[in-house]
Order: sequence, then C-alpha cells, then structure tokens
Amino acid sequence: MDIQYLGEHLLPGQLGNLFLVLSFTAALLSSIAYFFASNQNQLENNSWHKIGRAAFYIHGFSVIAVMVTLFYIIFNHYFEYQYVWQHSSKSLPVRYMMSCFWEGQEGSFLLWSIWHVVLGFILIKKTGKFEAPVMTIFSTVQVFLSSMLLGIYIFDYHLGSNPFILLREHPEFMELPFVKVPEYLTNLDGRGLNPLLQNYWMTIHPPILFLGFASTLVPFAYALAGLWKKQHAEWVAPALPWTYFGVMILGTGILMGGAWAYESLSFGGFWAWDPVENASLVPWLVMVGGAHVMLIYKSRKQSLFTAYVLMILTFILILYSTFLTRSGILGNTSVHAFTDLGMSGQLLVYLLFYVFIAAVLLIINYKSINADNVEDNSTSREFWMFIGALVLLVSAFQITFTTSIPVINKLFGSNLAPPTKAVEHYNSWQIPFAIIVALLMAITQFFKYKQSDLKTTLKKLMVSIIIAAVATTIAVFTLEIYNGFLIALFFTSFFAITSNIDYIFKVLNGEIRKAGASIAHIGFGMILLGALIATGKSRVISQNTSGIDISKLGKEFNNMENIMLAKHDTLQMGEYFLSYKGRRIEGVNHYFDIEYFKRNEKGKYDLVFTLSPIVQTNPRMGNSAEPDTKHYWYKDVYTHITYAEMEPPEEAGHNHDDENGYKKYASATMAIGDTIFGSKSLIVLENIYKEVDSLKHHFNGNDIAVGATFKIIDIHNKTTFAKPIYLIKGNMVSPIDAEVESMGVKLSFKNIHPDNGKIDIDLSEKDTGSQEFIILKAIVFPFINILWLGCIIMIIGTVLAIRERLKKSRLNIA
Amino acid sequence: MKKIHIIILVVIAISIAAIMSTVADSSTYATFNVAVANEGDEYHVVGKFVKDKGIEYNPQQNANRCVFYLKDNENKELKVIYNGAKPQDFEMSEQIVVTGKAEDGVFIADKILMKCPSKYNNTSDPSKTSTSKAS
Repeated sequence: MDIQYLGEHLLPGQLGNLFLVLSFTAALLSSIAYFFASNQNQLENNSWHKIGRAAFYIHGFSVIAVMVTLFYIIFNHYFEYQYVWQHSSKSLPVRYMMSCFWEGQEGSFLLWSIWHVVLGFILIKKTGKFEAPVMTIFSTVQVFLSSMLLGIYIFDYHLGSNPFILLREHPEFMELPFVKVPEYLTNLDGRGLNPLLQNYWMTIHPPILFLGFASTLVPFAYALAGLWKKQHAEWVAPALPWTYFGVMILGTGILMGGAWAYESLSFGGFWAWDPVENASLVPWLVMVGGAHVMLIYKSRKQSLFTAYVLMILTFILILYSTFLTRSGILGNTSVHAFTDLGMSGQLLVYLLFYVFIAAVLLIINYKSINADNVEDNSTSREFWMFIGALVLLVSAFQITFTTSIPVINKLFGSNLAPPTKAVEHYNSWQIPFAIIVALLMAITQFFKYKQSDLKTTLKKLMVSIIIAAVATTIAVFTLEIYNGFLIALFFTSFFAITSNIDYIFKVLNGEIRKAGASIAHIGFGMILLGALIATGKSRVISQNTSGIDISKLGKEFNNMENIMLAKHDTLQMGEYFLSYKGRRIEGVNHYFDIEYFKRNEKGKYDLVFTLSPIVQTNPRMGNSAEPDTKHYWYKDVYTHITYAEMEPPEEAGHNHDDENGYKKYASATMAIGDTIFGSKSLIVLENIYKEVDSLKHHFNGNDIAVGATFKIIDIHNKTTFAKPIYLIKGNMVSPIDAEVESMGVKLSFKNIHPDNGKIDIDLSEKDTGSQEFIILKAIVFPFINILWLGCIIMIIGTVLAIRERLKKSRLNIA
Repeated sequence: MKKIHIIILVVIAISIAAIMSTVADSSTYATFNVAVANEGDEYHVVGKFVKDKGIEYNPQQNANRCVFYLKDNENKELKVIYNGAKPQDFEMSEQIVVTGKAEDGVFIADKILMKCPSKYNNTSDPSKTSTSKAS
C-alpha cells in the first residue's frame, strides 16, 4: 500500500540523484577517454582527447549541480531529506548553513570533489601536452570520489553514502512508526548543527583545507604523468608553482584549524597533536620537503627520484589521512574524528589503488630516472636543501607512526593506546626537528649551488648570528626560558628570521618581488618562534583557591587549573582580580560576564576588560563551551568555562542573613591577643582604640565610638586588617561592620564589657553554598601574535614565489 | 662511503628510534582488573558511566575533583577519581575513555575522553524528537 505523504519535495532529490549518477559515469568515461588519448601519437585534438575533455566538463557541471541541489534543500529546510534533518534545524541562522553542507561526510567529499573540478577546469586550459595523462589521473580520482556519494547497492555491497536519501527511506528509520504517518513532516524539525561548528571559522576553514587537499592532486598527477609518459625532465617545471600553491593553501587551512580551535574550542591552545590535526600536518610537511627537492632538480638536475617519491607520497598521505579520519578507526583516540559510514573499505581501495599504481610506475622507471646522485659537496646549497627535506620527511614519519597506533593495533592485533602524555611525546621529537629545520632555513640560502666558500658564507651569516644570539640572551632572562631545547629553538628560529631579512637586503638588494622564498621563511620562523613562546611560556592563572590543601590529596593533584568563582565574588588571579558579574542568555547561548580588574597605585581596582565566555546549550548533542579572549599585542588572556550549572540557582539572598550573602559563622568574646577561627581564615584581635575618626564615620562628640583592629590571615598566608567600630549614636547602638571582600569575611563589633575590657564579635562569612557560581580556567598566552603574523607573512611570501615562478616559466616558453 | 649513505643510515636510525619511543611512550588499553592488578601503571580503560551511582562534584570545596563509577567492558565497576572539572554533559556520554592508574582500589584518572552520542549511530525516532520539543 502506498502512503501519500504530505508536503514532501521529491523533485530536488531526484535531480540530485540524476546528477550524482551522471557525475560518476562522466568521470568514468573521461578517465577512459583521456587514457586512450594519452596513448595517441598526436597528443592534442584527437577524438579520444575531445571525448575526455567533454566528459570531464559534463562531470564537472554535474558535481556543481549536485552541490547546488544540496544547498537548495538545506536552505529550504526540507527535512524529508535525512542529510538536512541530520545537520540543520529551523532555528539555525542562515550564516551557518554553509557549515551544514560540510558537516557530514557526504558534503565534505562533495566539497573536495568540487575543488578537483575547479582545478581540473584550469588544468584543461593550461596544461598543454600534459593534459591527457594529467587529466586521466584527475578523472580516476573523481571516479572514486563520485562513487562515495552514489549510495547504491551492488549485490550486497553498499557503495557510497547518498546525501539525497529520504529520512523515511534511511535504513535506520525505515522501521519506525513515523514512516506510516502521512503528515509526519508537519512538526518535524532537524537535529541541528553541532554547536562546535556554529562558528565563523567553520564557514571558511573547511573550504580552504579541502582546497589544500585538492591542490596536492596536481603535482601528484604531474608526477604520475611524468613517470607514465617518461617525461622525467618536463613535469617538474609546470608542477612546481602548483606545489607552492598547495603548500600555501594547505598551510593556511591547517593554521585556520588551529585558529578555530584556539578561538572556539576549549582545550586551551591552538595545537594539541590531535590525530585529526596531525593527519593534515603530515602531508604538508612532506609537500614542503618535495617542493624543495623539485627546486633542486630545476636548478641542478639532481634528486629527481626523491622529488617523484615525495610528491607521490604527499597525495597518498592525504588519502591516508582521509582514511584515518573517516573510517572510524580513530574512534577512541580522537574527539573529532568522523564515525564510520560504512565506507572504510571503499576508502582503503581508493588508497591502495594509487599506492599500487605509483609503486609500479616508480619501479618500472627506476633506471630511466637519472640515478639519484646527491651532490656530495656539503658546501652546496642543494646538499642542505636535501637534508632539510629529509628532516621534514623523518618528522612526518614520527608523527604518522604515533598517530597510526590504532591502525597498528588493527594490523597486528596489538593493544597499544596512544601515549598518555601525547603532547610531551610529540614535542620531545618535533622540537629537535624544528631546531634543525630553522637552522637550515637560516643558513641554506647563503650557500651557493654546486659549491661555496665556507669562510665567506660564515662571514655573511655573522651579523644575523650575533643579533639572534643577543635576542636569545635577552629572551632567556626576560621570559625566563630555562629549557635547553627551547633556548636552542628560540635561537635558530630567530636566526632564520634575521638571516632571511639580511638575505633580502644583501643578496637580493631589497627586491621584494624576488624575495618570495625568503619572506616565506621569515614567516615560518615567526610561526615557530610564536608557537614556542606562546605555548612554552603560557601560564594558567586560574589556580585553585579552595580551602583544601591540595598537596594532601597526593602528588597527582598538583595540576589544579580550574577555579571556582561565585557570583559577585572577587578572586585574585595572577595580576588580575576577577569578578563574576552574572550571566546573559541569548537564545541557546549563555554568556558569562567576567570582569577583570587591576589594582592601581592607589590601591583602587580599575576595570581593565570584561570577557564573556559562552556555554552553548544543545540538548541533543551536548553543551559546548566557547572561550573568550582578550587580545593585547603582546599577550592574550584566554578564559573559558569548564563547568557551570545551566539552570542558575535562585538568586542569592533568600537564605542569607543579609543581602550581600553573608551568613553568621561564629560569635566570640575576645580580649586583645585572642584568636577566632573562620572556615578559611584565622582572626586575631590586635587592639582596641578610642580615637575613631568622627568625620569619616559621621558622628559627633556626644556619641560613643570604639574601634577594634583585627588581623586576618587566610589560608594563603595573606594578611589583611579589618576595623569594625562599635558606635552608640544618640541612644542607638549602630555598629559599623568591617568587610573584607576578597576573603569573604565580615566582622561586627557587637558589645563591650567595660569590666574586663573584652568585646563581643560576630564573624560572618560569605556563603557560597547556594550562590550561583562558575568554574573557569584562564590562561595567558604571551606573544601569540607573532605566530599569527608569521602565518600571514608566510602566505605573502608563497604568493610572491608563485608569481615569480609563473613569470619565469612564461619567459621560458616564449 | 659516500655522504649520502651516511645520511641514509642516520635517517634510518632516527626512524627506528622514533618507532621505539612511540612503543615505549604508548600506554595500553586494559580493563579495571588488569589496572588494579598492576597498580601504578598507566592504562587507558574504556567503559560506561554508571548513571544510578551519580557523579560527585562539589566545586565549592574543590573544583578539580569529580568522583564517579565506571563500568568497563568486562562489566567490572570501579570508582574513578578525576582531578579536573566535571566535563560538560558528562551524563550524556555514551562511552568514556579514562587514562590513569589504579591506586588503593580506585582509579585515578588524569584524562577523560568522552564519546558523545554519535551523529550517525543515533537511532532516535525523528518524530519523537519533534514532539518532545513541542511539549
């Protein structure tokens, strides 16, 4: 029996499916046609070539049509489609709809595929005689990517995951009762976008990162084309600007991921060596190495085999990282890996296909590629460039190996878990690698190709060395860097910056157009330097101030980095005094306003800034905390909520003795020298005096006033004085209480016993029990702006290098 | 011997050292029984939060200590003390990986990784989510 469902829009889905099938078949046709075209004697304008081209255009426009259709159903909230229901909701602001598109695996594959199409269109126009073999590789990759979205059954095997599947036809929901209800759509709302992705970084970071992934395909396709058509000498020149492009875009994508993590995730930093982060860093490292080796080949006709291997490896590592993050294999080791969509087998085939083809081509051609004789002269530029590429490769290997622990477990049946102290593990390897890389960046440009005179080279470097050494010495003492490795890294990265600046002026005569490489190196040096200072010298200023002696809990409990702040309470944190003002609720976001005060010379508190970290509520996916950061040019003050009651307790005041939340804790009759114990403090009566300032406390000569001085010592051994006053104004007893806000203590002078000189005292303490409070963590990151500035400079440098490279190749052709 | 051979040897040596350090630094997935039998050794234990025993967290006293019970894959239950703030939506987690060591019959965790209800494996009834929202 057919049910007539109300309000469904089936046409877009049918169109979408049509274009999906079309994109797959066209890619298949294109790869076959281009393959035959590559084997024709006359490379261009043969009929296979024309078919290949036409098929790729059809493929490309189908992929774009699929994208448009998917956007269309997301923008119109067509929740009858599972993808839309899964990733968006009616209340989702339009500006985040882009993020819905790539939240799911299907959408992100589509994004990746689109970039390949765009790059493919450019290559068809620009590649010339390499078009047929390069586009053969491109088309086969598109066959794999398109198949990921097909979602059809071939016998029992489910090929791909279709973004246009209807909710009621999705295997998980097919059996559920709502499927039988014709008007199920009337009240249906989507599950909503993961709150972590509702962020502007998530609108720009994924497209950039996927463009970076896609751009690695170009040099890979050129390399395979070079091997296949035995054009060993020809592929490097056209592939080199693309490699630079890939280095720039993938690097930008990775750093944007770091910026996103820093701005909106609450792990307190921009890099955590998470498997997902590593998966995109590793191909970048290898590609940077590859770019340098290609440059060696261009200048000295050496190291061709290594250039082949590195450029092939870059793309293979992109596929491997896709496999790691999307097969669900990282399950227990990463927070933000995708879960398996049943495509891990397909991904593995995709990966192994290219590993196999590349390996076969490399082996067949091993002899025809000129023997890989590295220049043995260690005073040549190419020698040190080659060493640099190797260091990057080994660094990439170390990261890959540790990240691959779950894969190793699968392969060998072992039961390894990732290192408990993952950050320390990676740093212990990567900091030494970074030291070497920075050193090579500093010195290599000053060596000449072939060979150079060591003495004159050293002489040229002397000024930079001295400046860097002086800067390091100053930094060691002012920033208090006492770790040998960090000092070495500070020196070499600073040296990389100074020597590259020096190179621009001394050797290039300040010609910025030609200084792309040097500028990029300066940028990378600044990234290393900024990362070193910001993470190496970051300070958690939220230390535990609770009444419990932490050390008693055992040595495991010494990293108490969260602090409790009750509403209207003030706590000292580093140089700041923090006060929690209250919360504002705007839609799903709870903003916690925290005021940062500083004490000025007069002892008054000045409000310096207010931070409003957010907790976003999401009943279905869990609440998420988003930090807020105050940026200074020389440091960032970062604050995030680690815990807060999402339903605030009733406003303070009901259960308290007074409106400020004080509750009587103890009463005592005290003589001078006596002590009374508070819950977190010790209070000593120091003296009783009669010379009370009458003007200050507004009483006249007929009134009786007696003051008492108390010394209060809290658990941190901080000492304060409080002076409550006993006052009889006219005939009324109206004592003036003394409150010590920072300690949450108030003293009331209740009575005097003239016979023995003792006085009655009430001790009240601020009651935090039923008061609204938050737990927060605050970190100061010094000089993190060096890192971000370094990113921008590196991008500018790479753009200049690409321009210069393109200009040169145009001159060569002409 | 050419320089390139020496370089290759050095690269291989560093790679082997990297592999060995990974193995040495790596921890092991284990059950509570193993962790308790080897007190003081670092383990990763995968388990589920025992909801009916609740979670004890008194930030007024100590914002960096929460205590709860975890049932591992062999259904053994153990008290876990985590020295950190209670993670947001702890109760909603589907699966928890705690990293730390056993001490006097309790598991002292210094890291918690939560697997929240997955976007893909959630078999909640779409019609139900919409009605619960309306009510």
